[in-house]
Amino acid sequence: MSRQARLMAMRARLSGLESAVPRAVLPFGDPRVDGCFPGAGLPLGCWHEVTGEGMEIETAAVAAAFAAVLAAPLGQRGEVVWILRRDDLYAPGLAGLGFPAERLIQVCVRDEAEALAAMEDALGAAGVAAAIGEAESPDLTAGRRLQLASERHGATGFLVRRRLYGEATTPRGSAAATRWRVTPAPSEPVPGEPGLGAPRWRAVLERCRGGRTGAWIMEKSDGAHPLRVVAGLGDRELDPPQSVRLAG
Amino acid sequence: MRRLAAVDAQAAGLGLFAGQKATDAVALTPELTIAEADPAADTRALAGLADWCARFSPAVAADPPDGLFLDITGVDHLWGGEAAMMADFVARLARNGLPVRAAIAPSPGAAWALAHFGPDRAIADEAIAALATLPVEALRLSGADAAQLRRLGLRTIGAVAALPRDQAGRRFGPEVMRRLDQALGAAPEAFAFVRPPNPWFARLAFAEPISAPEDLARVAGDIVARLCARLEAEGRGARRFDLAFHRLDGVAEAVSVGLALPGRDAAAITRLFLPLLERIDPGFGIEVVTLGARETAAHVARQPGLPPLSGDSHDRETLAPLVDRLANRLGEAAVWRAEAFPSHAPERAVARRPPLSTPTDGGWDRERPRPVRLFRRPEPVEAVAPVPDDPPVMFRWRGRAHKVRHAEGPERLGEEWWRRPWSEADPASARDYYQVEDEDGARFWLFRDSPYGGAEPPCWWLHGLFG
Repeated sequence: MSRQARLMAMRARLSGLESAVPRAVLPFGDPRVDGCFPGAGLPLGCWHEVTGEGMEIETAAVAAAFAAVLAAPLGQRGEVVWILRRDDLYAPGLAGLGFPAERLIQVCVRDEAEALAAMEDALGAAGVAAAIGEAESPDLTAGRRLQLASERHGATGFLVRRRLYGEATTPRGSAAATRWRVTPAPSEPVPGEPGLGAPRWRAVLERCRGGRTGAWIMEKSDGAHPLRVVAGLGDRELDPPQSVRLAG
Repeated sequence: MRRLAAVDAQAAGLGLFAGQKATDAVALTPELTIAEADPAADTRALAGLADWCARFSPAVAADPPDGLFLDITGVDHLWGGEAAMMADFVARLARNGLPVRAAIAPSPGAAWALAHFGPDRAIADEAIAALATLPVEALRLSGADAAQLRRLGLRTIGAVAALPRDQAGRRFGPEVMRRLDQALGAAPEAFAFVRPPNPWFARLAFAEPISAPEDLARVAGDIVARLCARLEAEGRGARRFDLAFHRLDGVAEAVSVGLALPGRDAAAITRLFLPLLERIDPGFGIEVVTLGARETAAHVARQPGLPPLSGDSHDRETLAPLVDRLANRLGEAAVWRAEAFPSHAPERAVARRPPLSTPTDGGWDRERPRPVRLFRRPEPVEAVAPVPDDPPVMFRWRGRAHKVRHAEGPERLGEEWWRRPWSEADPASARDYYQVEDEDGARFWLFRDSPYGGAEPPCWWLHGLFG
C-alpha cells in the first residue's frame, strides 16, 4: 500500500471515530466564514466558547449578546436554556437582538460547579435546542461531559465566559468545538437616519476543531442569518495566540 | 371601658360573669387575676385543637369562637359506641385542662343546641324530642330574631316547630325556618373541614430501625413505587411528594420534591429524592417512613420511549424532567421564563412565569433600545454633558473614561404615578435614557435622573450594557 493510500485510510478511520453521525451545521451564508468550518457552517450538537476581553469577563455583556445572536436561529427547533451566574440578563434586550425571548428558560445558579452541572443537564434534555451557560473555564473533564450531553439530542451549547468579581481565576484547558473572542466594533450609522447603526462585533474565531481560524467584523442583520460579515480582518490584526495548543 | 370576656368555673362560682365591667369585678373580688383577651390567639388555639381532633374523626370543622364540629358518622364503633367515644374525648380534653361541653346528635344544629343549652354529654337519637324543651336561642338565631320569637311567647324550640310551617315562614322570615330545619336535620349544612382527607398516603414500618444511607435510599424507592402504583391504578398524578422519616425519638425528618407537571413516574421521583436524603439525620434509627402526595390531578401517561412527533418539540411534557431536576436542585425561584409585563419602567417590564407555562408570543417592544444586561442597581458615572438635553460627550465608569462617539436618545421614562398617591407624584422625577457608543464600539445605557433646571445638578447613571 502506498503512503498516500495509507494516509487516506487512516483519515477515513479517524473521521469515522470522530463523528459517528453526520453533524448538522448552521451556515452563516457567507463563504468567508463557512469555509473555516469542516461542515461549511457552525457545527451543532457540540459546544462553543464565547469570550470577551478585559473587564468583559465580569459583566460578559458582549459575549452574551454575541452568543444570543449565534443561538437565535436555534429557537425554532426547541427551547433555549440560559444558565446565569447573576440575575442580570434582560429579556427585552435579547428580543431586540432578534433572539426568541419567549423560547427562553432562565436558570440562576450560585457557583461555577452548579453552572456546569445545570448546563450539562440542559444540553442532555429532550426538547432543548440550545443551552447558554455562564462559567469561567470548564476543565477537560467538564468539557467532555458537556460534549457527551450535547450529542444525546443534538443540542448546541454556548459557554459565555464570565467570572464574577472576587472569584479566583483558574485558567484551564478547554474542549470546545470552537472558541470565539468577541469585542465590540464601532458601528456605522445609517445615512439619513438618526440614532445608532446596527451593532457590530470584532469576532475572532480563535480555535475551530477540524477547521481554520479566522477574524471578521460582523454586524447584526435582518437577513437569513442574524450575522453579516462587514469586513474580514487581516492576519496582522489578529491578537497573538495565547498559548500553543497541542491537541485539536 | 374594660369588660370581662370570659370567666373560669371558679370565678363564675364567685358571681362573676362575662360582660361584667372589669372595675366592678375587681371591686367584688379584689384577688381577681385578669388576663388580656387575645381573640387571635384563641382562633389559633382552636385551629390547633381542630388538628388534634383528627385522631377522633377525619372530618373536623372549627366553629369560632369556641366550638368544634366532629363528623363521627361511622367511626364511633372504634371506641365501642358513642357514649364511650364521648367519654374518652371529654376525659382527654379535661386532662389538658380544657373544660368542654359535648353532645352527640343526628344533625350539626341539634348537636350545637344540646352542647350549648342542653344537659352536658347529651346523646340524642331523635332531634325533635331532644330539642323540644330547649330555648329558641339554641337555634343559632340572630339576637333580633330570638327576641321577636320570645316577644310572641314562643320560648322553646318545640313551640316554634309546632307552628304551621307556611304561616311561620311568612311571619318570621326564611332565616328562622332554615335554622330550625338545620337543627331538625331537614336542611343540609356546609362545613369547611380543616383538613381535607388526603388519600394519597403510603406508610412503611420496619421491624428493626434503619439508619444506613443506602437503606434510606432503598426504602425511599420502595415507598415511592408503592404510592405511584396506586396513582397509576386510578389514573392520577401528583405535583408534590412529601417524604417523612419518623425517628425512634419521635422526630420526623421530612423532605419534599415538586414536579412541574403532575406525574407518577416512580423512578424519576425517586431520583429527585435521592440527593435530598443526605440531609436526613437518622438519629438512633428510623422506624416508619411515610409518603404523601399532594396537588393530585387526572394524568394520562404518554407511552414511554416514544419520541415526540415532529413539530411537537415544544411539548411541555418533554421539558418537565429537566425543569424538575433544576427546580429541585436549585430552588423553584431559580428557574423561570421571562414574559413581557406592560410597564414602561425598565425594572418592571419583565415578569417571571413558571418555566412550563405556555409561551406567549413575545409582546416585546423590539423598537426601543434595551440592554442585554440590566443592572439591578444603576451605577453612578461621572459624565460631561455640554448642553442641556444633550447626551454626554464622555463619561467615567468603574475608573475608565469612555469617549462617546454616537448617541441615541433621549427616551424619557416618567415614574409610574399610579403607584403612589396623586399628591406625591412628582413630574420632575423622570429619567432621560440615552444609548451611547464609545469609540471602541461598546454600547451603554445611561440615564440622567432629573431634567435640567432643577435645584440640584442632575446625576448620570449607567443602567445597563448592550453587547
